[in-house]
Amino acid sequence: MNVLEIKNLTKKFSDFIAVDNMSLTVAEGEIFGFLGANGAGKSTTINMIAGLLRSNEGVINILGKNAAKNSRFAKMNIGMVPQDLAIYEDMTAYENVKFFAGLYGLRGQELNERVEEALEFVGLQDKHKSYPNSFSGGMKRRLNIACAIAHRPKLIIMDEPTVGIDPQSRNYILNSVRKLNEMGCTIIYTSHYMEEVEEICSRIAIIDHGKIIAEGTKEQLKSIITNTKDLWIEVKSTEKVNVESIKAINGVEAVQIDENLIKINSDTGVNNLNKIIEHFINSHLEIRSLQEKAPNLETVFLTLTGRNLRDQ
Amino acid sequence: MKDILWLIQNTLSVTFRKKKNIILYLCMPLIGIFISLLVYGGDQKAILHVGIVNQDNSEIASDTIKFLKGLENVKVVEIPNAKTKDKIISGDVDSVITFEKGYSESVLSGNPAHIQITSIKGAQITGFVKSYLYQYVDNISTISIAAAGNQQTFKQMYHDFQQTNYKLTTHSLEDTSKNKNMTNQTIGFLIMIMLMSAGNMSEIILLDKENRTYFRLLSTPINARKYLLANVSVNMIIMTIQVLITLTIMKILFNIGISMSFWQAAFVMILFSFISVGLNLVIVAFSNSRSAAGAMQNLIITPTVMISGCFWPVEVMPKTLQKIADFLPQRWTLATLTKLQEGNSFSSLSLNFMILIAFAAAFFLIAVYRFSRNNSTQNFV
Repeated sequence: MNVLEIKNLTKKFSDFIAVDNMSLTVAEGEIFGFLGANGAGKSTTINMIAGLLRSNEGVINILGKNAAKNSRFAKMNIGMVPQDLAIYEDMTAYENVKFFAGLYGLRGQELNERVEEALEFVGLQDKHKSYPNSFSGGMKRRLNIACAIAHRPKLIIMDEPTVGIDPQSRNYILNSVRKLNEMGCTIIYTSHYMEEVEEICSRIAIIDHGKIIAEGTKEQLKSIITNTKDLWIEVKSTEKVNVESIKAINGVEAVQIDENLIKINSDTGVNNLNKIIEHFINSHLEIRSLQEKAPNLETVFLTLTGRNLRDQ
Repeated sequence: MKDILWLIQNTLSVTFRKKKNIILYLCMPLIGIFISLLVYGGDQKAILHVGIVNQDNSEIASDTIKFLKGLENVKVVEIPNAKTKDKIISGDVDSVITFEKGYSESVLSGNPAHIQITSIKGAQITGFVKSYLYQYVDNISTISIAAAGNQQTFKQMYHDFQQTNYKLTTHSLEDTSKNKNMTNQTIGFLIMIMLMSAGNMSEIILLDKENRTYFRLLSTPINARKYLLANVSVNMIIMTIQVLITLTIMKILFNIGISMSFWQAAFVMILFSFISVGLNLVIVAFSNSRSAAGAMQNLIITPTVMISGCFWPVEVMPKTLQKIADFLPQRWTLATLTKLQEGNSFSSLSLNFMILIAFAAAFFLIAVYRFSRNNSTQNFV
């Protein structure tokens, strides 16, 4: 079942088209990564999914229902973790979570239990009486998450949930995302940290100029940009290296020597690793290390958009 | 509806847990009462201090002084002639009455003279005692004329006059102008506090916007309309409490006669609450930040409150300003209350109520229009 379906979604601000005829589906149980540079249309799309903006054209379905026509149903099933901390400094951690959970109609004993559950989930149960101004950046981010999950939404939208926090808190949050996913939540995750997206997302969409320019698993995305792989072999000495004989190996397309490093570009469709190693042994070249350099998500993003994600 | 109640409950709880808000919203309106008590209050009976210089030393002069001593609100002290100037200049006495030598002879001759009244405070001070004194002296003079120079007859008639025992019942008329002034002063101050309170509470919208909690709130089942309705409701609750507290304390604790029914005054002021909320929503709708809203509030609220007669009667201002005041809701609120004080019936003031409602409706419509024109989540609605 699809938790989210977007069909031909368009949003214009005067003459500027922020989202251009976008279509997308997110299935139940996915952690869906949303990658895009600033101004690419990512936040506008998220705002439309969360019901904060109306689209000019297109349809958004949440759990099979039209979100525009069933706004309350859609919002009840979405938990929004905004990039900017949206917590009240003059309310304790407990009161913050209780306030937001109460907006989803929870009351009484059920409300208190859910609040405690959410605080425990983000590891703030012992800080429930503290005010956010005494919290570290990471703790505030965790409280921000607790406010979005207490009502047990089916779809959680996390917009840059790890911005500006220490590695320990980041790990905590990433583990929490995984746990939420294991508990049955579908998650839309955006981040400027490519390695985070690569680490936790099961499927990724790259958005640029309001359009999805690539979508799939990370392996599928990487395969879009290249049919070759790089093999980096470090040897003790390159004196005995015969470039032409390496090039003669089936599948090898290019060889480059960089000090003690021999960079071999090879066709991904040919399994020639054994033959390459055999050639090095027969040539009495002492191998110190060997690395297969597949393109990473950052390379994919850079290649597809011409822009570096973190330099925006 | 449950969502709105939840928002209202939460906003009130967070607002009133801070002591400064309790002082600002619930105690500040009472300052108006204290100011008006300082300006118009105190002992309503002013005591007139009169110094007497008796150079005549006759029986008639002594009896006249005795008469003056018996007057209400007059305190008489006998002073030597040499100290007359000092006592007046130092303010120890308000006026000095000198019975010069020959006073009693002049009275007996039917042509009273040799009385001098000295004061630097003018007729306002001397008028009261002068009217009593002259009447007394005229009476004795009339007796003397009636006695036609017969000493024995005069003494008999004078003695009878002094012994006359008649009962005089006095009723003090209530000075309603003073109470009306105190009410106007207090209500004027309350109007300003209400406008400021509504400003503060409406700024919560901008605070939520600046803190991005507004954005987060709209991703819950709360929509912009519900959010605004909750804000208006909190505003109205606070201002209704302010009105009721101020009127109750005025009427019950300080016993200030407001010259109209409690509930009539409360109705007019609650009507003004809507205007106050509407005006501040307009300010918020046209502001991008709290500092901008604060500046606009200062620019709009303070001058309009002054021009509309909240601090002093509008009649003392130039005609041009009075005409400008006619376009201000504060002026119409005060005018409606004044008409009620003058005894106009509630139903006869329907035009005033319509004008006040029109002010509120206009402000709300402008605010709603402005909010709805905003298409960005960076702003709202």
